Amino acid sequence: MKQRAFFVLVCVLSLFLLFSGPLSAKEIKTLSQFPMSGPVGSLPEFGWGFIDGMNWVNNEGGGVNGKKIKWFLEDFRYDPTVEVATFNKYCAEHTPDEFLMATGYITGGLKPLIDKVNKEEKIPWLDGSYSTEIFGDDGGPSKYPYYYSLGATYGAQLKILLKWIKENDKGKGNPKVALVYSPTAWGRDGIPEAKAYAKKKGIDIVAEIEYPYSATSATSECMEIRKAKAQYVIYHGYSGASGCTAIFFKTAKQVLKDVQLTGTHYTTGRMPILVCQDAYDGYVGVATRPFVDAVPRAKTPMDNPMVKMAHEFAKKNRSSEYQKGIQEKDAIKDMFLYMEGLTYALMLQKVLTDADKAGDLSREGVKKALDKMVWDFNGMFGGKKFSYKSHTIPMLQIFKAKVNMVDVEGKKVPTGAVVPITDWINVDEVKW
Amino acid sequence: MLSIENLRVVYHDVISVLNGISLTLNEKEILIIIGANGAGKTTLLRSVAGMIDFYDGSIIDGDIKMNGASIKGLDATDIMKRFGLTYVIEDRPVFWYLTIEENLGAASFSRWDKQVKADIEGIYSLFPVLEKLRHRKAGYASGGEQQMLAIGMALMTRPKILLLDEPSLGLAPLITEELFSTIEGLNQSGITIVLVEQNAHAALDIGTRGYVMETGRIVLDGSSRELLENEDVREFYLGSGKRERKSYKDAKRYKRRKRWL
Amino acid sequence: MVDFTQALGAGTLVGLVYALLGLSIVIIYRASEAFNFAIGEFLVIGSFLFYIFFFDLRIPLLVALPLGLLAAGLVGALVERFAIKPLLGRSPLSMTIITLGLGFFLRGCVQLIFGSHSYSFFLELPDITQEFGDLLFLSDPIWAGILSLSTFGLILFLLFRTRWGLAIRATSENQAKAMAFGIDARFILLIVWAISSACIAVAGIMISNFGALSSMSSIVGLRAIPVVLIGGMDSIVGALVGGIIVGVCESLAGAYIEPMGLVGFKEVAPYLLLLIVLLIRPYGLFGQIRIERV
Ligand SMILES: Nc1ncnc2c1ncn2[C@@H]1O[C@H](COP(=O)(O)OP(=O)(O)O)[C@@H](O)[C@H]1O
Ligand SMILES: [Mg+2]
Repeated sequence: MKQRAFFVLVCVLSLFLLFSGPLSAKEIKTLSQFPMSGPVGSLPEFGWGFIDGMNWVNNEGGGVNGKKIKWFLEDFRYDPTVEVATFNKYCAEHTPDEFLMATGYITGGLKPLIDKVNKEEKIPWLDGSYSTEIFGDDGGPSKYPYYYSLGATYGAQLKILLKWIKENDKGKGNPKVALVYSPTAWGRDGIPEAKAYAKKKGIDIVAEIEYPYSATSATSECMEIRKAKAQYVIYHGYSGASGCTAIFFKTAKQVLKDVQLTGTHYTTGRMPILVCQDAYDGYVGVATRPFVDAVPRAKTPMDNPMVKMAHEFAKKNRSSEYQKGIQEKDAIKDMFLYMEGLTYALMLQKVLTDADKAGDLSREGVKKALDKMVWDFNGMFGGKKFSYKSHTIPMLQIFKAKVNMVDVEGKKVPTGAVVPITDWINVDEVKW
Repeated sequence: MLSIENLRVVYHDVISVLNGISLTLNEKEILIIIGANGAGKTTLLRSVAGMIDFYDGSIIDGDIKMNGASIKGLDATDIMKRFGLTYVIEDRPVFWYLTIEENLGAASFSRWDKQVKADIEGIYSLFPVLEKLRHRKAGYASGGEQQMLAIGMALMTRPKILLLDEPSLGLAPLITEELFSTIEGLNQSGITIVLVEQNAHAALDIGTRGYVMETGRIVLDGSSRELLENEDVREFYLGSGKRERKSYKDAKRYKRRKRWL
Repeated sequence: MVDFTQALGAGTLVGLVYALLGLSIVIIYRASEAFNFAIGEFLVIGSFLFYIFFFDLRIPLLVALPLGLLAAGLVGALVERFAIKPLLGRSPLSMTIITLGLGFFLRGCVQLIFGSHSYSFFLELPDITQEFGDLLFLSDPIWAGILSLSTFGLILFLLFRTRWGLAIRATSENQAKAMAFGIDARFILLIVWAISSACIAVAGIMISNFGALSSMSSIVGLRAIPVVLIGGMDSIVGALVGGIIVGVCESLAGAYIEPMGLVGFKEVAPYLLLLIVLLIRPYGLFGQIRIERV
């Protein structure tokens, strides 16, 4: 009898161990990859913002309805192959019921993963890419059901600019626009859509110039634009911080005096104020995020809750990096990058929480939550809500750069910001 | 004034070229060094001039002394400045792409005195042909002119000791003769000379003493007269041995049998 | 015609900067037959040194420029001493390979010290923009042309009118011969690297002034490759002509060929031209005719 009781006990215990073990140990795992170092540039701010964000999410932020996210952060060094390899490694090492979401940053990493993510793993993938090819009309949810972008495509950005030009042009006849873009995948992205849209709207594309990153001079480009009598330039596909951008703006300031310079997301922000200085004054550009970092930083308008949150987080968690001068090592050079890292963290929390609430904390559940999501993103878009049905956060705003040169101890330094000149625009709702 | 003691030199740490050379150089003499191709004569001069490391060689044993003090390991420019030792490297060491006048100027780079201009004129009076060609690129001058220029350049360094490495190489006999009498003249003006030559006869004629080198060793030494009269020297270097060989083949066999040492 | 003159003029101005880059390659090549592939990093480092003097320490331009160039020269000398000198007498190929590795190493150093973001660069030189009718030549490129040409002239003067120049030319022809005649070939080589490095810095400062300065500016250094290959690796005149050719070629391609729909042609145009030149003259337009041994 005793023996039998013992046997039952052992059975019950082992059954309990067998089932309760994995049950209680089931974790919520995510993988995020950012270009934090590498040959192209070191942008540790992404990682910092993300780390601070995730730490907040798991503690004060309440996690996923109380459960903590086991998040992994990897630096892919601006190398798509690394991004792909790291993702593959995580897929092999973690089970699909735990590893629920991945985030990436560039189009170059998305392309080789199309089948792996959308057909094999079926894991929701959030990306920083604005690729029109993947998220635009020819791609999108029907083709790549598990890809989600955190911002409107370049095609949408260019079209919004063209629309703004058409609506604000005071001259007679069709407005004349020159397209200047980088000979890179992201520079060329969206250009065909923009050209087609210009045709439809009655805008003349009078010049189309590929201006390389390695340029030493923009004189012939600017002269060509002048000769073509363009009234607007759309400058697309460059980092606002790069030397060629400075060359272009400095030259354009002198050669293209009456031409309105405009541009896309990555040339709309803090770095061109610092690098191009007063040559950047008057520039009009679209961006997918609110302006977060004026020059000097203390002058940044804090009425946007997301901007405010980013600054508070940075001040609290990275006070020395936050206060350091732009040219010092390990400074937060551009709060946009920090806020972007934070944005990823909040997005992970939001969607995992939604899925959990719906009782389906799985990859499919996360996908459903994303597709159903209607959110104001902590008030990031002036209180406006967006839905994720296009798999991009479809929000854009148009800004105008205001740069003043002021004397500081006998040295002229730029101050300024880009200020919104339109309300937030939901490109999914625009009547093109 | 210069003495070399048991000098051993290797190239690239493995190719042993000088295997224990000892010799002395007396002030104001013309010392002749003869030896077959590859015997190590040039290597010896490079070592003395402090240039051996430049050719990836190193002194692994022995010493080189100037007036009793070791100069081993000194820089070429140091040796030149401190002891007035100038090494005219083999194969017409002139700068082909510089004019003759520029060549003379380049050779006076180590000097900072005001005499340079006057000295150049002095060289021109020693070798009038150089003056005529002064603005010509040295590469376009004839072999004899280049060799004269080389000696002129060496003189621009105001040498006390002159190391000449096969200056007669490729020159016509008449020009060689002229060259050697110039060398004799320089010696008479007080310059000590080390003359490495294949042209043993002409060299020994103007020399004071001589050494014979073979495969990195000194195999014979003596006054010029003694060497000129030595059977083996006559046979191997002067080409006029007593014994008549019937054929070249015979001569070779004989040579192989009768090795130095 | 106006377009042509415009393209020609603008191309020549930038070309003069390229010529200076070419010159700095040529003098090193002549001295040691090595190609300095670290030129881009030299350019960035030289510009940053000037940046420190002029923008950070706010020393007046006329003092900061010589100081910056001196510092750049010093870096060139240091690099020669620690990376190149140990290879003296070895094959030029090994030196060339060392410069490649050196490039990576220096790039790392620059990124570590200066990061990889852009530094604003405004020299604020007096405005000498020239405008005649439809022709427009901007102030900064004109200044760049003037300064590059003056530097070029200064180097020519140094090489052909001074005793140091003579020693450099002698050493460049043959280090062993030079050494035998009392020229300290090793020191001369050091000087050559210093001069080359200072020249690269001038070019770097001029180009940074067009836009901004960052560690990425190093790609500009690669322009020197078509310049010297077209002009001839060992020719100083070739560097000047090659520089102008590359500058004009880029600018003509930008003005005439790209608008025809061949976007991006500007980048490849110099290399196409290079190919043609090399087919006709394998040693470049001004590659020296070797004096054969008499
Ligand atoms: N730089 C060098 N590296 C390696 N071997 C060398 C070098 N220079 C000379 N040798 C070798 O050393 C030997 C002696 O050469 P060298 O001194 O030039 O003789 P010589 O001048 O008597 O003809 C030869 O076998 C030659 O091949
Ligand atoms: Mg020899």
